[in-house]
Amino acid sequence: MSAETGRPPLEGAALAAESGRAAGPPLTVGAILRRRFLRHYLAVASAVVLIVLALATLAAPLIEAMLGLDAEQVNLLGRFQGPSAAHPLGTDELGRDLLLRLLYGGRVSLLVGLMAALFAAVIGTVVGLIAGYYGGALDAVLMRLTDGVIALPLLPLLIVLAALDLTKLGLPEAFANSESASLYRIVFLIAIVGWTTVARLVRGAALSLKAREFVRAAEALGASGPRIMFVHILPNAVSPIVVATTLSVGGVILFESVLSFLGLGVQPPIPSWGNMLTNAQELIWSAPLLAVYPGLLIFITVIAFNFLGDGLQDALDPRAIQ
Amino acid sequence: MRRIAGLLALILSLTLTGPASAADSGSLTIGITQFPSTLNPNIDSMLAKSYVLAMTRRPITAFDHDWELVCMLCTELPSIENGLAVPETLPDGSQGIRVTYRLQPEATWGDGTPVTTEDVVFTWEVGKHPKSGVSSLEGYRRILEIDVQDAKTFTVLVDRITFTYNASGGFDLLPAHLEREIFEADPVAYRTRTTFDADPSNPGLAFGPYRISKVEPGAQIELEPNPTWYGQAPAFSKITVRIIENTAALEANLLSGAIDLVAGELGFTIDQALAFEQRHGERFNVMYKPGLIYEHIDLNLDNPILQDVRVRRALVHALDRESLSAQLFGGQQPVAHTSVSPLDWVHDPDAPVYAFDADRAEALLDEAGWSDKRNGIRHNAAGEPLTLEFGTTAGNRSRELVQQVLQSQWRQVGIDVRVKNQPARVFFGETVRKRRFGALAMFAWLSAPESVPRTTLYSDQIPSEDNNWSGQNYTGYRNPEMDRLIDAIEVELDRDKRRILWKDLQRLYAEALPVIPLYWRAEPHILPKWLKGLRPTGHLGTSTLWVEEWRRDGG
Amino acid sequence: MLSYIVQRLVESLLVLVLMSFLIFGLIGLMPGDPIDLMISANPDLTPQDAERLRALHGLDQPIVTRYGNWLGAALQGDFGYSRLFSQPVMEILLPRLGNTVILMGISFVLALAIAIPAGILAALRPRTWLDGTVNMIAFAGISIPPFWLAILLIIAFAVLLGWLPAGGMPPADGGVGAYLLHLALPVATLTLASVGGLIRFMRASMMEALRQDYVRTARAKGLSTRDVVVGHAMRNAMIPVVTILALSFGTLFSGALITETMFGWLGMGKTIYDSIMGNDYNLAMIGLLLATVTTLLANVLADLAYAWLDPRIRYR
Repeated sequence: MSAETGRPPLEGAALAAESGRAAGPPLTVGAILRRRFLRHYLAVASAVVLIVLALATLAAPLIEAMLGLDAEQVNLLGRFQGPSAAHPLGTDELGRDLLLRLLYGGRVSLLVGLMAALFAAVIGTVVGLIAGYYGGALDAVLMRLTDGVIALPLLPLLIVLAALDLTKLGLPEAFANSESASLYRIVFLIAIVGWTTVARLVRGAALSLKAREFVRAAEALGASGPRIMFVHILPNAVSPIVVATTLSVGGVILFESVLSFLGLGVQPPIPSWGNMLTNAQELIWSAPLLAVYPGLLIFITVIAFNFLGDGLQDALDPRAIQ
Repeated sequence: MRRIAGLLALILSLTLTGPASAADSGSLTIGITQFPSTLNPNIDSMLAKSYVLAMTRRPITAFDHDWELVCMLCTELPSIENGLAVPETLPDGSQGIRVTYRLQPEATWGDGTPVTTEDVVFTWEVGKHPKSGVSSLEGYRRILEIDVQDAKTFTVLVDRITFTYNASGGFDLLPAHLEREIFEADPVAYRTRTTFDADPSNPGLAFGPYRISKVEPGAQIELEPNPTWYGQAPAFSKITVRIIENTAALEANLLSGAIDLVAGELGFTIDQALAFEQRHGERFNVMYKPGLIYEHIDLNLDNPILQDVRVRRALVHALDRESLSAQLFGGQQPVAHTSVSPLDWVHDPDAPVYAFDADRAEALLDEAGWSDKRNGIRHNAAGEPLTLEFGTTAGNRSRELVQQVLQSQWRQVGIDVRVKNQPARVFFGETVRKRRFGALAMFAWLSAPESVPRTTLYSDQIPSEDNNWSGQNYTGYRNPEMDRLIDAIEVELDRDKRRILWKDLQRLYAEALPVIPLYWRAEPHILPKWLKGLRPTGHLGTSTLWVEEWRRDGG
Repeated sequence: MLSYIVQRLVESLLVLVLMSFLIFGLIGLMPGDPIDLMISANPDLTPQDAERLRALHGLDQPIVTRYGNWLGAALQGDFGYSRLFSQPVMEILLPRLGNTVILMGISFVLALAIAIPAGILAALRPRTWLDGTVNMIAFAGISIPPFWLAILLIIAFAVLLGWLPAGGMPPADGGVGAYLLHLALPVATLTLASVGGLIRFMRASMMEALRQDYVRTARAKGLSTRDVVVGHAMRNAMIPVVTILALSFGTLFSGALITETMFGWLGMGKTIYDSIMGNDYNLAMIGLLLATVTTLLANVLADLAYAWLDPRIRYR
């Protein structure tokens, strides 16, 4: 529902991270082992899938050289070809090699997902720590700001951003006019609206941690506010952040595909799984595989990030390690 | 819970009966992709509105399928030869013209009130009122007076003679008996209070073959035959125009039988239509009509690289537009060589053509000083790369595909083209309109047959801060010869002489090359096999201007 | 308690006023005003026409003045006309609000009806094949791009099987049957897209509840699983679920853009999107503000529900 309403779906992820510390009813040792294995099996498998995907996308130039192809080379006479030795997965609507397009698209999708989730986590952590640790009026202001950001309409913001002249912001011209600028706009947008969940999580953790003895002790020893926040509180709040961030990577990848559907995503000729999937929807009858591959890759990647987050949650939960 | 189960059971049981077929005898459901923002013929111009209103009302004159001007609401097309148009010297010494029209004697609004010259005068009053909200006043302002002879005959005095003197243009009659009171009460509020939007199913708003019987904003418009229609009786007892914006969903609706016909004017993209025809050619007829939608790339002539005409010519020579059209568009969208359509009678087949010739392109670039190839990209003596920015409307799939093909072809000759696309409203509202595009901007012009390119090529039409960003000469092209030709064409009444001027204009356009012509977009009309009589026009006059000829045949 | 509610409401009102200005400003910042769009569609428009139309639509005023005018009129109940539909704003918005509430309401109830039992079952038998299957389905629901799901459903049920209409609003005279038929696919899409998260959530909070001491005690006393779940664990497990419900309520008025677009369902999501893209200030402002109000209220509601369900929580 979150991707649906046009909001990076960090909400559900965080709520799951908050409440998912369940370990189940008491069990025999054997059962615990077996069940934990089952659970971790999926998480481990997901991690393996993600690593393979990441390596494959990183190796795209190598594969490109091996196949002796150029990923951007348009061949109007070779559109919609089936799989062959030259093109392992066939070609797309402009005769480009589909495998290479998928690999380069995966690079972009994974990069957007990771970067946006990371930036959002950083902003959210800082805001959450300050609000939770200092409390009072500062807390109230920051939390109402969070409410405001949650209610912020994304669409006009996106369009304004699309029109923004990046050179006027002091960014180097080479960067502002590069084709990848659309990619960074999206990362930026998701980061500035997606931090709210992490902020709430961290604030909650900071609220409870600041009452604990070791924080009191540090305060008594005269440690500064920032030092207490980042040295004493943050390390103890790290696991929900890691879990929420992992879960949100998948959400961001999904969100990018929705943005592409609205024509506001990563812009061609840079491929992303999202824009490849969107472009294929009209061709669903004549060339269904063009839609199946990116759709499947999005699905697999997002689900793998979810399983991974789930597994991490178990692994990082102190109550589970008994 | 139980209630939900009941609901599910209800849905399931209803499901088994299946949806009612739209193809009941006598009814026709048309799918289009846009909802008209207003149904008042004179406020705002919008293709969706023209499409629907062409069924309920008719312009005084229109272009027919052969792109010739004909009478629709008038009885005889005025001309100087038949004496219905008479040039006249105005008090200030300039030349004007008096043109006499006679309205169809039987034309009657749907509520029984005859269509008369009173409606003509009222429409003029609304049109020239500065606060009425009518978007384009120009046509109305040029009318100095309207002389009413009788209920059906009137003469307009226009302040200039142009070769389009007998075309009624955007002069679309408003029903004075319904609208006058509303307009006179408060001209400023007229655009929001007009009966066309407040009570769109009022029968008094239509005099065409159909009238609107129901409007569901954003969803659909239903029409029924208008009993007061004076022409051939329409065959369908009900026409529903459904709005489905997503083209993939539009296709699904056509296949599932929820709509019968997809309008070419506002429907499938061309490659979607080609793929559709391959799979469903048995069930549907697909008609392609290349029209007056001119896809092209405006070159920003302020860009130092593009100021060199050799570079501009090299840009065109490097492109294989023929195979692009053949492969991507099934050959249905002919390559454009100038801004004049080959279907237009003034088209000059002898104007210079830049055929695909990569060697020639490379030679021209070498000659222009871009001879140093590093990593496949050309550089000039100063070491600057031959890099050009290329923008178009983001989210327009056809354009994005073409753009990537062009980018790839230019790279072959060492031109580094960087794509920078924006959402349509940003692209048109800001980037193109204020000439903020770095080098190349791809979009389309829609025009009428034999329309003079004054706003796009005349030197005083270059948008700038000083003229408040008016004009559409986005390339910044200025050439006294072009200005002279445009001025001359507009006032030349003799067709043969005009054809010669047009020939000069096309030659000049092709030689100077301020614009890279790409292709003429085609409208793909998707019709059920049983629908006969629909003839695409290829220009802004929609096929629905002849909706009374549509009929079911077999099936 | 009461003072807390009042304080939250006052704060929310402040946020709302700020938001209304922010939204107005954002739309104003977007390049291209309605007149620009008209010019790009109509080459005959002269610069004088453009200037005249700008003045007529009040677009020549500075943004603060325009916001003031808009606010003044809106406070008197005059929300103006929609530029895209040439109708009073409320006449467009109210039916669409209804459509959205019906679509999202039904999907939401359906999703809950599936998620609560599924989540409880999975929590009662953690790490079994049942749990695994439920989890799989939940994750699959979360991970599929919504527009893609919509296309697959249309192809399966409208084109191949021909059971359901591919989209569009039901005819006004079609009765309840036609209405439900048209509703089926959008509801299915939304339900499938939202049920995954809810299942995961329900399962997690149920497991948490089952681990509590009093539940163990109840079990030790020999109560049946059913009694334990219904009598004890449910209430506690529902606390976070109610919170998320209240938060989701906030999205009720903002609609479901993708589903509405794919199925041509005239709801708030599509309306807000179109009004922003089409530069329809009046429509966009009211649509977005309605969505903002519900989101803010939902936040307050979520906190209150939390306090009501969990007696340990007291607000100031």
